[in-house]
Amino acid sequence: MNLFDQVEELKKKILDESEKISDESSLKSFQEKFLSKKSELNGLMSHIKELAGEEKAKFGQSVNNARNVVQEAFQKKADEINQKILERKLEKEKIDISLPSINYEVGGINPFFLVQDEIMDIFVSMGYEVKEGPDVESDEYNFQRMNIPESHPAREMQDSFYIDPRTLLRTHTSPEQAHAMDEKNGKPLMMICPGKCFRRDDDDVTHSHQFGQVEGLVVGPGISLANLKATLELFVKKMFGEKREVRFRGSYFPFTEPSVEVDISCMNCGGKGCSTCKGTGFIEILGAGMVHPNVLRMSGYDPEKVSGFAFGIGIERVAMLRYKIDDIRKFYQSDVRFIEQFKRR
Amino acid sequence: MKVSLNFVSKFVDLDGLTPEEIAHRLTFAGVEVESIEKLGQGTKLVVGEVLTCENMPDSDHLHLTTVNCGSKYGVLHIVCGAPNMRKGLKVIVATDGAKLPGGTINKGKIRGYDSEGMCCSLLELGVDGKYLKEEQTKGIEELPSDTEVGREDVLHLLGLDDTVLDLKLLANRSDMYAVLNVAKEIETLFGRKASLPCVEVKENSKEVCPVSSETPRCSQFSSRVVKGIVTKESPKWMKDILMASGIRSINNIVDIGNYIMLLTGQPLHMYDLDKLPKKELVVRDNCPGEFVALDEKSYALQDGDVCITSNGKVMCLGGVMGALECAVDENTKNIVIEAANFDYASIRRTSIRLNLSSDSSQRFVKGINPNQYNYVMDLTTDLLLSLADAKEVGPVTTYLEKKYEEKVIESSYEFINKRLGTSFNNEEIKKALESAFIKVEEKGEKIVCHIPASRIDIGEAADLSEEVIRILGFEHIESKLPFVQVSLGGLEPDLQNKRSVRSYLRGVGLDEIISYSLIREKEVRSFAILNKAEPYKVMNPLTDEHEYVRTNLLPSVLNTLLYNKNHGNNDLAIFEVSDLYGQNQKKQIHLAIALSGNDLRHQYVSGEEYNFYHMKGLVEQVLGLYHIDGKRAQFERANEKEFHPGKSAVVKVDGKVIAIFGELHPSVSKEYGFGKDKVIALEMDLAAIFATKTSPVTMEQISRYPTVSRDFAFVLANNVTSKEVISEIRKVDKTLIRDVNVFDVYHGEHIDEGFYSLALSVSIGSFEKTLNDQELSAVEEKIKQAVIVKFGAKLRQ
Repeated sequence: MNLFDQVEELKKKILDESEKISDESSLKSFQEKFLSKKSELNGLMSHIKELAGEEKAKFGQSVNNARNVVQEAFQKKADEINQKILERKLEKEKIDISLPSINYEVGGINPFFLVQDEIMDIFVSMGYEVKEGPDVESDEYNFQRMNIPESHPAREMQDSFYIDPRTLLRTHTSPEQAHAMDEKNGKPLMMICPGKCFRRDDDDVTHSHQFGQVEGLVVGPGISLANLKATLELFVKKMFGEKREVRFRGSYFPFTEPSVEVDISCMNCGGKGCSTCKGTGFIEILGAGMVHPNVLRMSGYDPEKVSGFAFGIGIERVAMLRYKIDDIRKFYQSDVRFIEQFKRR
Repeated sequence: MKVSLNFVSKFVDLDGLTPEEIAHRLTFAGVEVESIEKLGQGTKLVVGEVLTCENMPDSDHLHLTTVNCGSKYGVLHIVCGAPNMRKGLKVIVATDGAKLPGGTINKGKIRGYDSEGMCCSLLELGVDGKYLKEEQTKGIEELPSDTEVGREDVLHLLGLDDTVLDLKLLANRSDMYAVLNVAKEIETLFGRKASLPCVEVKENSKEVCPVSSETPRCSQFSSRVVKGIVTKESPKWMKDILMASGIRSINNIVDIGNYIMLLTGQPLHMYDLDKLPKKELVVRDNCPGEFVALDEKSYALQDGDVCITSNGKVMCLGGVMGALECAVDENTKNIVIEAANFDYASIRRTSIRLNLSSDSSQRFVKGINPNQYNYVMDLTTDLLLSLADAKEVGPVTTYLEKKYEEKVIESSYEFINKRLGTSFNNEEIKKALESAFIKVEEKGEKIVCHIPASRIDIGEAADLSEEVIRILGFEHIESKLPFVQVSLGGLEPDLQNKRSVRSYLRGVGLDEIISYSLIREKEVRSFAILNKAEPYKVMNPLTDEHEYVRTNLLPSVLNTLLYNKNHGNNDLAIFEVSDLYGQNQKKQIHLAIALSGNDLRHQYVSGEEYNFYHMKGLVEQVLGLYHIDGKRAQFERANEKEFHPGKSAVVKVDGKVIAIFGELHPSVSKEYGFGKDKVIALEMDLAAIFATKTSPVTMEQISRYPTVSRDFAFVLANNVTSKEVISEIRKVDKTLIRDVNVFDVYHGEHIDEGFYSLALSVSIGSFEKTLNDQELSAVEEKIKQAVIVKFGAKLRQ
């Protein structure tokens, strides 16, 4: 048998042998036996010196060729086996993905603040300034400056928490209208003021001696009731959904004229009438109106030249409607099981 | 205010209008109708006559009766439990299938006896017991003996076929306390002509009761002497109207007074002329002393109370209640009628102080029509003539502070449209105003409006715009966004800053709560650490639970923590940010945090009970939000009775204490109700932090060369703090030592008592080159030596 045939035969034998590789150890022994320095193929190579000239080169080529073929076959097997090993390893690493996670949960937010923040965002997006006024207020700002004279029933001691005869816990955020106008000194303004208010009510499902309001005030030349309507429509659609409609009803507040109650079409039934809206299709959500000329005058604005609108939104009222909260005391109890239901709008 | 539609329909035609339509229009025009109630209800009712009535055997109260119900229903067997049931009585029978407010009546057996219907009391027809006499509430209704048997229009017969609107009147529409004005309002809104009663009274006597006033609290006072009256029961039509309006019938004289008040809004008072000490009435406001009123109770009068006196004796507490001494009774023959107008603030003060509120005081408090007293006197007299057989009528005598002047307001169509944002034409506006009985004169561009006396709420042009829109309808307002030249919108800085703290804390998993600002005295006195201002005290608290305005936040947050613990919530991390107000100080802004139970964030992997260091981490991060770093914020051991002396700290920024935090003192914790649970609490002065000036952020260079980390473990005496060790290490080489961090603290086995092991990791690097081993070892060695020399530390092997 000439050397070339021997190479061919050996190649065939090794390839046959490679077919038998079945695991890591047979792979290793195959590698040692057929691909190491001492392998038979390498042994055949030592016969190269017996050949001459062209034959020599040819023989070298044929051995290399055989080695490459073997190497390739080995590699194929090795890949297969390594793949299996990896699969087995990954299989072993399998975890119970149903086990609880590491807790990166965000904290809950009392819906009072959720709604307050959202109201602020809506009006800021319309260009309003947001200010805060004091909880402890003078009787002058809380009442007189809001066109509520000394003899007005709302001035009753029994309805307000007094600190002394001239100082009380504000009963509404409306005095911020006067503060804002004082500060603006006759210039046009658009502002809202969120804040806490206090009234001498016993706490029950719908009453709270402490509650939140957001006051709104726009003053400038030519401000009209039509401007109020458009503004509140934008607010209501953002807060309660695009389909909500706004309706005005005549009302009375000492500091606005005309005064209106603002109703929105019921979000539960869409206006057809249900238990939420007591069959009327509408729900009362806030009070508003055109700023009373007396209020403007007392704040140094000339009602002949400028006019304004104002509104007061009850924070809990909005939150209760939106999240179907059935008891105003739940806000102030702040049970975390309640709070943690509210994380995002 | 209850308004009977039967009453209203005497003055304006309501035909074809449903109560719902009327209520809807009124409500949208600013006169809110709270409810619509049928006065009495019931179907299949019939008048019956009791033919026989026997006691049921074995029953102490039931009767077996037969009742003749006329040709349609025949004679019915009825079992009845009313004590006044007797033979011959005319009764109301609810027959089989009758629907009453309490349910449906069905034929059936009671204790084995047939009962084919029910004999009714007015209560069972839905009439409120307060309008009924006691005997009416205790048994079945006894109809007049001449009532026709078999009549089915029972509700009409009883005056119960009426619908009552309950008006929720706001302070501006005091005129709606008069049914005549409600009728006029219906004319305004529905265009149906109202016809008001018109009477002519012939005076046949010259007798007067002179009147005068010595106080500005009375602007008008009129009297008229009427003699020869007879007190008796009022006619049925009047009793029906009073009942529907929520007023009990007493006798004809009292009822006439109430009827006129309902009709005109003008409260009246009747004096027994013969009981007056002197034939005069003088209004005064300086009659302190005892006063025995009609209700036979005694009241203490003060200066300022409006009193109507006669010969110096108080005969009536103006607008509130008359004196017992001169009250009209069944023997009264001669009376003086009073129709007056008092200062509403005074009446309100008096009625509230004495806790005496009546239909008339309520009307005075809201304000009454100042220019109708003569009309009211004549209406009253007319009724006294027809219903009380009055014989002599004297002239009306009036005291007037000043003559009534009609209110005249100048405005323009343009102004009204501009304010409303509407485009009504002149004619529409004029018509609307005129429909509200406002006379409009056009003078060029201007309009001059004459306001009726009943509308005391209309005072200026803005009020006219309201009249126009409420009459024409708010649905005419279009939507137009305002255009105002303003400065930039947005949150003021404090609000913005509060938001970022709140959002950070929620971001790391804390729950944001809200609690009441009014707290107990005991609470306001505890944790008064950061804010030591004297708290505001409420003069008139509802309970001592809400008596003081809080000056610090922790007491409320701890209360909320406790509420949660008591409701089974154990792992808690809560916070609140709030403005605070104390005496003689500007607004404070605080943050309070309370942690208790296990850290929820890694509960599954490594549940860990909240401790001091959790809170310290939160404090550092909050400070970090405002660029206050560890160099500027000093943590010092706190010494406050509310906190654990060994596990609490105060934080100082630029030398000022801005926060206190730590584990609650075990005894405080126990007193609060936490038992043995550990509570970690923080109170922080956010306003001080927001006000801290920090330099603007600029980029810091990052070294291009690698930093190497070397670990050290020292055994140190317990009194050596990690902070001291770190600062000593930093001093070794201020340029090469980039960072020092503690990675382990160990007490216990292999470490002597009084010592602990502190393991630190030090990052070493240069901005100029990569350090070689030799250079690194040199720094390492210097660090070891420094700590060993300074603190007598040993290296831990």
